[in-house]
Amino acid sequence: MNDIKPKILVFSTEKISDPAIDLAGLLKMYYPATVYTITVPCSSSIKPRWIMHAFDAGFDGVFIAADGTDCPYSENCTENTSNIVKQTQDLMRQKAMDTARLKMAAICSVCSEAFVRQIKTFYDYLINQKQNENA
Amino acid sequence: MKMREPKKHYDVLVVGGGIAGQETALNLANLGYKVALVEKDYSIGGKMILLSKVFPTLDCAACITTPKVSETARHPNIDVFTYSEVEGIYKQEKGFRFTLRQKPRYVTEDCTGCQLCEQVCPVVVEDEYQYGLVGRKAIFIPHSIANPRIAAIDIEHCTFCGLCENVCPPKCIDFTQQERVDQVYATAVVLATGYKLFDPTIIRRYGYGKYKNVVTAMQMERQLVPTRPFNNILRPGDGKVPDNIAYVLCTGSRDVTVGNPICSQVCCMYSTKQAQLLMGALPMADVTLYYINIRAFGKGFCEFYQQARAMGVGYVKGKVGRIWEKGNGNLVLRYEDIETGEVAEAEHDLVVLSIGILPNKDYQKLFKNVKVDQDPYSYVKQIDELTSPARTSVDGVFVAGTASGPMDIPDTILSAGAASSETASYLCKVYKEIQPSLS
Amino acid sequence: MKIGVYICHCGSNIADHVDIEKVRETIGQQKDVFLVKDVMFACSDSSQKEMVEDIQSQGLDAIVVASCSPKLHLPTFREVARRAGLNPYKYIQVNIREQCSWAHSNDHKGATDKAIKLIEAGIEKAKRSEALEPIKIDAINAVAVVGAGIAGLRAAIELADMGTDVYLIEREYFIGGRITQWDELFTTNQTGREIITKLYHQLISYKNITLFTGAEIVETSGSVGNMEIKVRIKPRYVKPDCVFDMDKFEKAIEVCPVEVEDEFNFGLTKRKAIYKNYPGEFPEVPAIDHDHCTRCGECLKVCEGIDLEQKEEFINLNVGAILLATGFDPYEPKEGEYGYGQVPNVITLQQFKRLIELCPDELVYAGRKIHNIAYIYCVGSRQQNGPNRYCSRYCCTAAMHTALLVKQKYGDIRNFHFTRGIRTYGKQEHIYHEALEQGDVVFQSFNDPLCEVGEHNGTAVVKINDFLTRGKPMELEADLVVLITGMVPRKNNTIAQLLKVPVGRDHFFNEVHLKLRPVETVIDGVFISGASQGPKNIMESVNSALAAASKANNLVKKGFISIEPTIAFVDADKCQWCDKCAQVCPFDAFEQVDYNGKQVARVITSLCKGCGMCLPVCPEDALQLHNYTDRQIEAMIEDLAKAK
Repeated sequence: MNDIKPKILVFSTEKISDPAIDLAGLLKMYYPATVYTITVPCSSSIKPRWIMHAFDAGFDGVFIAADGTDCPYSENCTENTSNIVKQTQDLMRQKAMDTARLKMAAICSVCSEAFVRQIKTFYDYLINQKQNENA
Repeated sequence: MKMREPKKHYDVLVVGGGIAGQETALNLANLGYKVALVEKDYSIGGKMILLSKVFPTLDCAACITTPKVSETARHPNIDVFTYSEVEGIYKQEKGFRFTLRQKPRYVTEDCTGCQLCEQVCPVVVEDEYQYGLVGRKAIFIPHSIANPRIAAIDIEHCTFCGLCENVCPPKCIDFTQQERVDQVYATAVVLATGYKLFDPTIIRRYGYGKYKNVVTAMQMERQLVPTRPFNNILRPGDGKVPDNIAYVLCTGSRDVTVGNPICSQVCCMYSTKQAQLLMGALPMADVTLYYINIRAFGKGFCEFYQQARAMGVGYVKGKVGRIWEKGNGNLVLRYEDIETGEVAEAEHDLVVLSIGILPNKDYQKLFKNVKVDQDPYSYVKQIDELTSPARTSVDGVFVAGTASGPMDIPDTILSAGAASSETASYLCKVYKEIQPSLS
Repeated sequence: MKIGVYICHCGSNIADHVDIEKVRETIGQQKDVFLVKDVMFACSDSSQKEMVEDIQSQGLDAIVVASCSPKLHLPTFREVARRAGLNPYKYIQVNIREQCSWAHSNDHKGATDKAIKLIEAGIEKAKRSEALEPIKIDAINAVAVVGAGIAGLRAAIELADMGTDVYLIEREYFIGGRITQWDELFTTNQTGREIITKLYHQLISYKNITLFTGAEIVETSGSVGNMEIKVRIKPRYVKPDCVFDMDKFEKAIEVCPVEVEDEFNFGLTKRKAIYKNYPGEFPEVPAIDHDHCTRCGECLKVCEGIDLEQKEEFINLNVGAILLATGFDPYEPKEGEYGYGQVPNVITLQQFKRLIELCPDELVYAGRKIHNIAYIYCVGSRQQNGPNRYCSRYCCTAAMHTALLVKQKYGDIRNFHFTRGIRTYGKQEHIYHEALEQGDVVFQSFNDPLCEVGEHNGTAVVKINDFLTRGKPMELEADLVVLITGMVPRKNNTIAQLLKVPVGRDHFFNEVHLKLRPVETVIDGVFISGASQGPKNIMESVNSALAAASKANNLVKKGFISIEPTIAFVDADKCQWCDKCAQVCPFDAFEQVDYNGKQVARVITSLCKGCGMCLPVCPEDALQLHNYTDRQIEAMIEDLAKAK
């Protein structure tokens, strides 16, 4: 069943999590090539409609690589991003979707290991879900 | 290239277009000062532009250098003079007068860098930009990312056969070009004259120049750049891909017998970097570094060194005494193995000499009526090393980068930052005295 | 629409793992892609020239460069667009190196497919890109320099010289920082105090430098160009104009009954509650340590310059930029680490330097005359099991230099160095040579801990398996064990927390790029220098301080700063003014205005930082961010999601 390659959309942030994802590449910490990144200034700027749009368009999972406490803009960033996740999950529930297809974790600017670990776990989870669906 | 007409007066003359000179020129130009940047070579970018990747981040050197090179070349406040020399700097009451000599390239600025001339030129000589690994023509573009990327004719070797003239599409070959000499003024001078590489032929027991498979780290560096001449790592003796490579550290450094008692500050790290790159390029190869102490002192260096060890790079503490060649081109290193306390021998199929850096003493000949003091090792003396590191013994003359001693790239950039700052302060003071209304 | 796409080989960095040919062919078939080229180095001058020519001669509407991370070259290519007469925001960079060829060098097909998708998404973004003009904001030609150690002092003087106003803010009552605790310095043998005395006299001659001591920034607001800082100034309890009556102050110090541990001497001595760390310290006026003063009033009886009624003050300052020179802390060994705090006569290098200064004729510690000294290197640095993996850089030379000094000063000293390999890099090598020539003994080990410190009849005993003599176990009875402690980031660095200065893996301040932007941080207008960004010796600290001064001066001197126009904008037709955006905005960048008879929100351009926090909270979905518009993001999503 190795031909199942879930597609993950990562929202990363210019100053914090994107450098970590860059660093993962620099250090050759491999992760699946079906993980795509769209960079935004801050994880608190992601609109739930974008996330829903990603699911509608065919993404299996959406991962928010959040600024967390490292956010250069506001100390409320973690809370704001969590609100975005909650709102989106409400929308997902209305459509009877698995809310675990949306994942958020704070990724600091050197947290490349954490990023790769999170992404791999998420990827495996999505493979499992897909296998179950197919079965 | 058409000779550029210099301005009569510049705020600053920067001697040397390597990364220290560029950084200083850019900082000062961004503050609004007019800068003349004079480089004796055909291209700016110094030695860094010739490197592969740089420690400890493994950024590609070209990716970091070329944008700065372009920015320097394009800056409205900087006049770059390549293949040019500064002579007879004469200190006056306010500022300096000097001779700017622009030498002919015998190719005009219309050159598009198409390299057709290189293809037809029948003369082949050793390519100094590839450190002799391959040949180049008598008409040539110095290297693929040179700036300006314009051909030049090496007139000493040119046979005047005229083939290049015939083939050149924009007809930019001009054997009648003459050198241009101007008298120019500058309020301040920054020496960014860089360093020279140690010539290992002096250490005869290492056999460099005699054994083909003994190369310098700079030659290895050129084999590791993306635009490398062989598109692979080969040993020069027979073109074989090496699988057991040795690095001899402190070649020409920390060695009183060759007249250079000090540490070159970069060789441990560049050797560690090359070892990492080699392990990537040749996954099956063994790489061993013979060292005295590993000087991984800078930000992120120690971690980088530990990473190399974890990748399997071999580190043997011991000074190599002698190298000789076997029939198959392999080399035997005799060294004192500190761990066992015994003299040991090891066979390798390629030996890289981690050559040190030496002062470029050219600055000593630049000045006419003043003397820029030198330190005990012939580098430019920093007369107030701890609190004004860019100051020299001559008021109005500052030093940036390795002209004052061995240093790595991050330190060079900081030193250039300091030189720009001290030069700018100096200019502020001088101009305040001359024209109080402007301050 | 004509879009030009450039695919960079980055030498072999991209081309080795991504099939460039295939990428180029696939991209060439895209609608609106007018030309597609692959280049060896997109950032090289010749490629840049080519792009300029293409844009001008082909009349391109937008360009996409697929190369490295935008962190490296976004400004480079925006500049290319600008030179060619194309709006810089009509340029889109796609990262196919860090996030593609390098991250998937184990999967060439995957990397190639991903590169294609990423570039396609970039093209979609480019199609919907808007021409934006930079926003100019006023900049105050003043810089707050935080920390008056060697780095801060030099930065302050240099900035003042270049015509920028400086507020030099020092947390302690006295200036000079760590180097005043260090008598003779390598490699010039000047003393720290000589240097500080010289710099202080220079400093006070500038009209455009204001020095605050006992001062700490407690609040910051605003942003680059105009940052407002609130400084809390602790009372000194001494009148500033009494500096000429030093005899009375001496008397006051004499009569003060309170004795506390002297931090300046790392606990080797005691000081009074009214104190100066050393006689020639600056500013000249002593200070009263409020925490320990008992208000007994003894000092008041002998010196009228004392004023215990002084109150804490708060001052607001407006500056264009902040330059941090907050320095380092010496590593504090743990209880029992190499016998520290357990075995007698184990001290740190910092204490040792103080001890040497406090012992003019003979070296005595804890009543014992010192002959044999063991120096244990890399304490708190190059840890294999602890968190500090880094090398502290200055300590090998500092230790060797100190070993030379004690021998010169006291004669009858034998030095034994327990090392991990000496790192007296560069010209400092001669200090190591001299130490060897004068008979110092060097041991080495790769073990962690590198030696053991025990006790035998009240004397410290150091044991090592010496690598230099085939791992032979060596034992030394030492009168004094000096732990060569490295540098660690400053504790309680309030300003760093206020500004959220990013730190690296070593927890020191992190620069944007070690080689390209070594004194800048990701926070616009905040510069770093000296040992706050990693271990440095004095010359290196000063170099970085001067480099930071030049960058800060360059930023604020012109009186204005161009900032990114990628800020939020409001669709006034949709907006119903509910205040939610204004509440969530960290920069107070919203105002309420009248629009066709209704109340709507408006973005104040000079305050908006473009973080986009307001976007998701708007119930009417009336907010968007330039360069990250709904149309752009959604088109990118659609493209990335598309099956091949």
